[in-house]
Amino acid sequence: MTTELLPPPVIAPAHTRPAARAVAATKRYGKGDTAVTALDNVTVDIPAGRFTAVMGPSGSGKSTLMHCLAGLDTLTSGHVFLGDVELGKLNDRQLTKVRREQIGFVFQSFNLLPTLTAKENILLPMTLAGTKPDKAWVDHVIATVGLGERLKHRPSELSGGQQQRVAVARALASRPQVIFADEPTGNLDSRTGGEILAFMRRAVTDLHQTIVMVTHDPSAAAYADEVVFLADGRIVDTMTTPTADRVLDRMKAFH
Amino acid sequence: MSKLALKQLWARKRRAIGAGIAVIIGVAFLSATMVLGNAMTQGIEALFVEGYAGTDVQVTSAYEVDGEDHQTIPIPARLAADLGALPEVERALPVVEGTAQTVGSDGKGVGGNGPPTIGANWIDQPRNPFVLIDGRAPAGPGEIVVDSWVAETGELAVGDATTVRVPHPVDVTVVGIAEFGSGTRMGGVTYTWFDTDTAQELLFGNADDVSAVDLQVAPGVSPEQLRDAVEPLLPSGTVAYTNAELTERAMEQMESDFLGFFKVFLLVFAVIALLVACFSINNTFSILVAQRTRESALLRALGASSRQVLTSTTAEALLIGVLASGAGLGAGIGLAHGLNALMTAADAGVPSSGMTPSTTVIVAALVTGIGVTLLAAILPAWRASRVAPLAALRDVAVDRSGASVWRAVTGLVLTGAGVAGLIAGPSTGEPMMVAGLGGLAAFVGFVLLGPVAARLAAAVIGTPIAWLRGTTGKLARGNAMRNPKRTAGTAAALMIGAAVVALFANLASSIKYSMTELIDSSFGGDLVVRPDGFSGAGLPTSLAGDIAGLPEIATAVPLRDSPITFEVPGTPFDAGAGKTDWVVATNVADMVSFVDIGEITGSLDAMGADTMAVSTKWADDIGVTLGDSVQARFADGEVGTLTIAATYTLPDLMGDVLVDTAVLDPHSASPSDFLVLIDVADGVPLDQAKQAVSVVTVPAGDPVVETSDEYLDAMGSQLDSALGLVYGLLALAVIIALIGIANTLSLSLHERTRELGLLRAVGQTRRKLRATVRWESVIISIFGTFGGLALGTFLCWGMVRAIAETEGFAQFAPSYSTLGIVLVVAVVAGVVAAWRPARRASKLDVLDAIATD
Repeated sequence: MTTELLPPPVIAPAHTRPAARAVAATKRYGKGDTAVTALDNVTVDIPAGRFTAVMGPSGSGKSTLMHCLAGLDTLTSGHVFLGDVELGKLNDRQLTKVRREQIGFVFQSFNLLPTLTAKENILLPMTLAGTKPDKAWVDHVIATVGLGERLKHRPSELSGGQQQRVAVARALASRPQVIFADEPTGNLDSRTGGEILAFMRRAVTDLHQTIVMVTHDPSAAAYADEVVFLADGRIVDTMTTPTADRVLDRMKAFH
Repeated sequence: MSKLALKQLWARKRRAIGAGIAVIIGVAFLSATMVLGNAMTQGIEALFVEGYAGTDVQVTSAYEVDGEDHQTIPIPARLAADLGALPEVERALPVVEGTAQTVGSDGKGVGGNGPPTIGANWIDQPRNPFVLIDGRAPAGPGEIVVDSWVAETGELAVGDATTVRVPHPVDVTVVGIAEFGSGTRMGGVTYTWFDTDTAQELLFGNADDVSAVDLQVAPGVSPEQLRDAVEPLLPSGTVAYTNAELTERAMEQMESDFLGFFKVFLLVFAVIALLVACFSINNTFSILVAQRTRESALLRALGASSRQVLTSTTAEALLIGVLASGAGLGAGIGLAHGLNALMTAADAGVPSSGMTPSTTVIVAALVTGIGVTLLAAILPAWRASRVAPLAALRDVAVDRSGASVWRAVTGLVLTGAGVAGLIAGPSTGEPMMVAGLGGLAAFVGFVLLGPVAARLAAAVIGTPIAWLRGTTGKLARGNAMRNPKRTAGTAAALMIGAAVVALFANLASSIKYSMTELIDSSFGGDLVVRPDGFSGAGLPTSLAGDIAGLPEIATAVPLRDSPITFEVPGTPFDAGAGKTDWVVATNVADMVSFVDIGEITGSLDAMGADTMAVSTKWADDIGVTLGDSVQARFADGEVGTLTIAATYTLPDLMGDVLVDTAVLDPHSASPSDFLVLIDVADGVPLDQAKQAVSVVTVPAGDPVVETSDEYLDAMGSQLDSALGLVYGLLALAVIIALIGIANTLSLSLHERTRELGLLRAVGQTRRKLRATVRWESVIISIFGTFGGLALGTFLCWGMVRAIAETEGFAQFAPSYSTLGIVLVVAVVAGVVAAWRPARRASKLDVLDAIATD
């Protein structure tokens, strides 16, 4: 996997301005006695140009937080912003446009359309938008993926790790403001998972992208710059420059 | 396991309903067909029973020609008096029946568009099934009684003066209106009654003949006894039937004639509808089973035997079959009532008393519906039972296979055999049979090859769409290609409909083209005169002579026809033997001055009452040559000898045997012409000639005067209206096919829920998502339709070649416009079928979709 540094972006990642944020975000499912509060008054900033991991036990609300930040789900109360745009004020069409142009997604599995080749999958958000990809950037991203000839293959002909690499490349290709990754290594063995995480790490370090990753795996979280811990819908802790051991220790406290 | 089947069915109501609708429509059409057919049979039988109520025994001509019972073959009138003297006879009544068409107040003949226009004598007797509801019985020349339908349709009342065509126009006054005692009518059949002498005079031209003698029994005598008493006294050539025999014979004739054709016609379409339904159900079940692979495997892993899995799926199909067939039967009965209401409005309805479905109909509809469902479901069910238990842990397997070697080879062999049959058909002894079998083989081959071709076809059809519509089209193309079996199964339903449309449309255009060619090449005349309905009174025989007398006209010849049975030399020539042909009678010598019948050997100048001209092919067929004399039995049963005065080489337009009118007229009770061919004098403009002809034709019942082009158009539009009916019936098959497409799309989309979620997540708008589904549907539609059109056109080509071999003049001329229209309709249909599935897909919640297992 060769990586060649691109010239740094004209505007250096401003650590002062968050790429996304949630303000007093509350999400409740159901009504009355059976209501479940998935997010309870969460306020969080996702710093730009950083790799943020969201951790927590099952049911802690970590996926809900990510879905709301990504505009896939709506809040019961509170606000989420992508850059300066408040997502709650957008209609479906505008949200679709935002997703297409400013957000990248990597899911745990089933990230690729089976009828398209790897390369077509990478370019999908741009072709859907009908915009011309930034060729230098895309070539760079594709080179980073390191699939070579397999770019012309369909997903069913790729290994799980290769599929996830294509998925990350697709998320990168449109150079979005934020990439959201939902357990991207959950379906992979630890070695392949490590490759993907290293790839995402480089995307932040070398390509100055912003990634938010939901995970319950401490060793995955160790690749991040910062970890946000959720429990019962609330942020209970944060940690910078995490290591697997520190994260594991912190997680043990929840049990 | 049956409980499991029920639960599974309930959990998938929506999809089950989709499969069920195809069955419902198919069964509804089938049962409506049968109910209506039976009701018609009953209704007509009831009419016959009532019509013969006053007849215990009827004496009529024994002679039948061409399988038809010719009521108008006269028998001696004196039989009435002779038989009336028998002690067993209470009353003997002469019956005179022929063709007479009453002209309505608008100057147009009433009826005559299919059902007979009957002219008869009014018999004042206590058991007459007809009763006068207004006025009185006819009592002399110039007086008629009409039936109430004629009175209503023709807006005639007692006291009105009008004309009756017999076929020459006769001025009459309506003195009475009659109808069946029960008030029932057989829509479209018209009656005009005269007194007996007038009827004899107008319909037979003499006072010695009657059509039949009706006998009523004396008290204490049964019809059978009377028949047995009468039989020894009958002159040769006459026969006596009891009331029951009469009804039975009349019904037999109806069945073999109009009714049988009508029933078979509807049944053919019911079978097509069911065939299409079969494909739709099969496809639905295949998909349901594929989607349930995991479930089935789990059941197997938990210890269910493969038979239990098979039973479970079969039970589900059985339940759908029973429910849908029941619903279809109900819908069919409703449909039959609706159709009958429509037909009643068009005066062709049947009494609704007969509309209750018989047990046979109920059993047939249910058995067919359930059978078709089971048949269509059993293969997928069997496949479900074969799932290895281990598959439970794998992802849902998407069946991408399409082209097993077995399928490809069998499909190719069958298609090849079919093509060979269609190509070789004309050179075999049984052209139609070989071509038909070839068509069937090609059809089955096409269906089998569907999945083999689907991938490539979807790729080819999808390419311009992908090129034009970008990602949307590209995704649609990929989706249509990904499961060739499913694409082919869905398209097959549409293919059947398209194939039948293409077959009929091309056949019609070929017939039209051939007719035009034939008339253009063989008919040198300018004008034709034809009656304005095909079962009306025909043209007066004096018309051609009157037209020929006009200064604007060079020649005018009448055409009349009749079946004649010819002796085949070397074989016995008694009743029922020989070769029967419809013979055209005209003034042959005049006719050939402007009609090309090819190379003529011998002389047409001396054509008279005992000569004929025949085609060389006809002469070869029965082994006779110029100058030979052949025995001929005429329509009235009399036998004469005709000598071949000439032979000709082109029988396509005028048929194989031509005679002078003097040959037929002595054997026909009331001759009439079906056409007059006119050659306009040199230098006279067509308009002027037409005008001149009208002066003669208007007083002769105002038949239609047309140029040969107009005549062709009129014939063509008759063909078109028949075609319209075919299209109407095929619309049903297309609707079933559309439901199939919609169902398959829904199921496929359900399968792709996560994909849809992903697409939406990465930025596909709802509108584009809908477009993707729509294009996929359009690709499938075009695939099916194109395959069907190609198949149908090819079948037509083979059929036309076979017809050309047997009939001699057919040329293949496909109707490109119709084919184009059908393709456009298919695209629209694809869009329509995709509407609901596309909407549902675009409404999916992105998160739910992604989270779906």
